[in-house]
Amino acid sequence: MYLKRNSLTNYNLRNMKTIKILSGLALSMLIISPMANHLYAQDQAVDTTLANRVTELEIELSHKKTGEDHFMMAGLATFGFVSNSTTTTSGGISQKTTTNSFPDVDHFEFSPLFLWRHGDKFLLEFEPSFDGFSLGVNWADVSYFVAPGLILRAGYLVTPFGTYSKRLAAGWIDKLPTDPTGLADYPPTSDFGVEAEGGLPMGNMKMNYDISVTNGLQLLPDGELQSVGAVDNNKNKTVTARLGLLPLSNSSLEIGVSGMWGSVGDANSPYESARSQSYAADLNFVKSFSPILVNFKGQYNYTFVNNQNYINPSDSSVYTFDNKTTSGFAQISFRPTGSGNNLLKNLELAFRYGKYITPSKSTWGQNSDIIDVSLDYWFTWRTVFKIGFQSSNGTSTAIANSGDKIKSESLFAQFSIQL
Amino acid sequence: MKIFQIRKLVIISITGLGLMIMVTIIGCKASQQVSNKSGAQLWAENCQRCHNTPSPATFSPEQWETVGLHMQSRALITDEERTKIVDFLKQ
Repeated sequence: MYLKRNSLTNYNLRNMKTIKILSGLALSMLIISPMANHLYAQDQAVDTTLANRVTELEIELSHKKTGEDHFMMAGLATFGFVSNSTTTTSGGISQKTTTNSFPDVDHFEFSPLFLWRHGDKFLLEFEPSFDGFSLGVNWADVSYFVAPGLILRAGYLVTPFGTYSKRLAAGWIDKLPTDPTGLADYPPTSDFGVEAEGGLPMGNMKMNYDISVTNGLQLLPDGELQSVGAVDNNKNKTVTARLGLLPLSNSSLEIGVSGMWGSVGDANSPYESARSQSYAADLNFVKSFSPILVNFKGQYNYTFVNNQNYINPSDSSVYTFDNKTTSGFAQISFRPTGSGNNLLKNLELAFRYGKYITPSKSTWGQNSDIIDVSLDYWFTWRTVFKIGFQSSNGTSTAIANSGDKIKSESLFAQFSIQL
Repeated sequence: MKIFQIRKLVIISITGLGLMIMVTIIGCKASQQVSNKSGAQLWAENCQRCHNTPSPATFSPEQWETVGLHMQSRALITDEERTKIVDFLKQ
């Protein structure tokens, strides 16, 4: 009986335990279930936030991808002030004129340069230019970087005649506020055509070559040459070539020779047989003689047109002259880049001597000597303010007023910046 | 007949010049001394041939690649020089 009762008690006790366990489990389920749901919802929220963030990062990254095409703008702006005094002496009588221009109309320029790079093989360049009077284009071309040492170009380009027009003419590069008289734009060096160029290593030296085939120049009835433009005036093309040599391993010296050859007469005109030949020599030497950086540049141009008959505009008579034009400049500048004084090391003093001789007995004959001096302050490597003075002494050799003297003095203040 | 002779002469001259340029391009090599130059040294030596040496901070790395091509076509530096100078300016 006792045993039976005892077994019954044990049975009940076991049942009680089971019930307790089951109740505990049920209670736990009741408590855990909402918590689990809450945690699951939380996980879902985290996943969504993370997914959104990843999408955002992906979009951001896609914007930062380098891509194939790259566009940028550079260029330059130049403006300033000039005060000029010109005295003309003709037949013993002198006449003086003075002008003050703000901005300097002869040296104002706003030229944004647009560059597109397609991968690392193609470069498109377009530089429109506003000079105060008109909106023109300095160049608009496509370059193809074929192989080391070979670049091909097509479009409206700067022909490789000397180095001034192609490398040094920009206001933020030029050490003086003026272009060398008669050299920067004669013979004209922007033209439509194709070009091949490159720089090549040669042991400790380097050489570079540049050759273009373009529409060329056009001979005017007074004997001057102008760029023919997009439509050629004859069947022939003008070839321009330059060869440069850098004989020193530190690239401080460059010597170059150039030539330009072509027919310049309009087809089926009296100038059909006219041909011009131009030659140039250039020199560039930049070296630091601590603490001063010395910069020497020079170029000499010679242009010749074979014998032709021209029309005198004063009486329409036919006459001839030896149609050759020479121009040249030599300039030197000093900048104490090694000075410890911040003001001093940003100053640069530049001198230039220029010579310009146009054909005597033409309607535009003159013989001029030009001296320029300028004190520059460099705000940054590409931002400069120049105070310059130019003195020009010319003698007319023109058919109508041979012997007349022209003396001109100008004071410049000029600011130039690369965009 | 004369025109054909001139054309023949022009074609031969251009072909000859082209071959000469190709041989020159392929055959040209820099000396060890020049090849060992760093981008910084080439930047200091070559940029100032025309203008002041540019600050690396002026343009972004992408823009320096573009400017490098533009400058190569102006100053006619070699490909190796352009690559080293641009790599230096991009840092």
